[in-house]
Amino acid sequence: MAEEDLNHIRLLLIDDEDNFRQTLFKRLGKRGLQVRQADSGEGGLALLKAEPADVVVLDVKMPGLDGIEALRWIKAQWPQTEVIFLTGHSTTQDGVEGIKSGAFDYLSKPIEFEHLLEKIKHAYQKKTRDEERRQEAAYKARIEQQMIATERLASMGTLAAGVAHEINNPLAIINEAAGYLSLLLKKEELAAMPRRQDFEKAIEKISSAVKRARVITHQLLGSVRKQEPVFAEVDLYELAAETLQLVHKEAANKEIRIYQSQGGNPAPIWIDPNQVRQILINLVTNAIHATGKEGKIEVRIEADPESSTLIVSDTGKGIPKENMEKIFEPFFSDKPPGEGTGLGLFVTRQIVDKLGGTIEVQSRVGVGTSMKVILPNRNPLKST
Amino acid sequence: MIEIPTRILLVDDEKDFVEMLSMRLTESGEQVTVAYSGQECLEKLARTEVDVVILDIKMPGMDGIQTLREIKGMFPLVEVILLTGHGTTETAVKGMKLGAFDYLLKPADFENLSAKLQGAKKKKDEQDERIRQAEARLLLRKGGNI
Repeated sequence: MAEEDLNHIRLLLIDDEDNFRQTLFKRLGKRGLQVRQADSGEGGLALLKAEPADVVVLDVKMPGLDGIEALRWIKAQWPQTEVIFLTGHSTTQDGVEGIKSGAFDYLSKPIEFEHLLEKIKHAYQKKTRDEERRQEAAYKARIEQQMIATERLASMGTLAAGVAHEINNPLAIINEAAGYLSLLLKKEELAAMPRRQDFEKAIEKISSAVKRARVITHQLLGSVRKQEPVFAEVDLYELAAETLQLVHKEAANKEIRIYQSQGGNPAPIWIDPNQVRQILINLVTNAIHATGKEGKIEVRIEADPESSTLIVSDTGKGIPKENMEKIFEPFFSDKPPGEGTGLGLFVTRQIVDKLGGTIEVQSRVGVGTSMKVILPNRNPLKST
Repeated sequence: MIEIPTRILLVDDEKDFVEMLSMRLTESGEQVTVAYSGQECLEKLARTEVDVVILDIKMPGMDGIQTLREIKGMFPLVEVILLTGHGTTETAVKGMKLGAFDYLLKPADFENLSAKLQGAKKKKDEQDERIRQAEARLLLRKGGNI
């Protein structure tokens, strides 16, 4: 450990022997450590509460709160803080007790300064290593969780597509049977059939239910479609403007105003326009459904040299916290039956994944939702 | 105006589907023959005059694409509309490259199917007409030579 690194160490010195403590305080300060001092266990804990320390050098024998007790307090509240015990001459029993209670090590008084400094350095290094290990473990856990989620979505998608395919055949039979019946009812020979209107009405219901089911199965099958993307140079702002035309009427019906804006240095990017259009339609349609009469929706394009960001924000009802995890799962929908297939965001996320992008959600119930899609800029000349 | 019925051969291994769609098409004034496999389709084509084949892609044994190849090899003038229960339109597009007139996703919208049937029939009629004219020219030339 280089000498200049010593000034990263936040050290707390706790000892009731004033002369001894003051001397150490000065010498450690001279070597660059950030040192604070306390003359009692209670005083030390108060200082730690104000600001944590990396290493505590702690005298065992003190009036009031003694070293062992102080150590237990410290380890209970700041488990990451390392503690070096100072024991009286030839009382190694205290030192062993201290290590058992979680101290890093102990030194017997009288101590040699350089020896103490070495111990402090080692304690600090251990703390740093532990910290790194913890971060690594947390990172690994996060990645694993993401992978589980991704895999689960992928297998759910495959399963859903399989089910959709199998359902299409019986659906086709129902469709043709209903169509045949309605054709029969239009025949002259059946003009005087009793309760003909009831039959017509029921058949009409069958047909419209088949149409609804068909939208679902086709959308599901579309989500796993292995269609090759067609890349082109795309001006996202223009594409968004053009796409908004498609949903314009639906928004106008609810008197929702859609604003479009851009920031950064928007430049055409190399991407599959159809996939981006699909993303935009899904997000804006959701926004329209979530937003009440006279609400506002903003579609914003932000660009920097590495990536382009599409942000669709609404002043809608927002997504409750407990639903945040579920919104990308297939068949999750909070829309009334028949209005949402529960596949919009599922499909959107699959497209975004395929494009190498990410999607983020921010939402507050009663305030609104903001969906952010970040897409990497690809350069046709640079890409492999 | 009396509409001339389209002579349709409907091929699908799903018997209930074949039955219902053929009843519906017949009721709409078309002339429908049915087959439940690719093999049966080819046998029926050899015996029956057909304008358009409605052909399911996914069938056990000889599948729709194989059947399509055979049809186009043996009866090149017959138009084929592919039916797919699967979202992968790739196979359907491949089928069009092999000479299919068009494709439809199951369950198909009847108006859509009718429109495609009309289109296929029109294409076949025009081709038949061109052949007739060519044959007439051939006859004329032959006659002139005599």
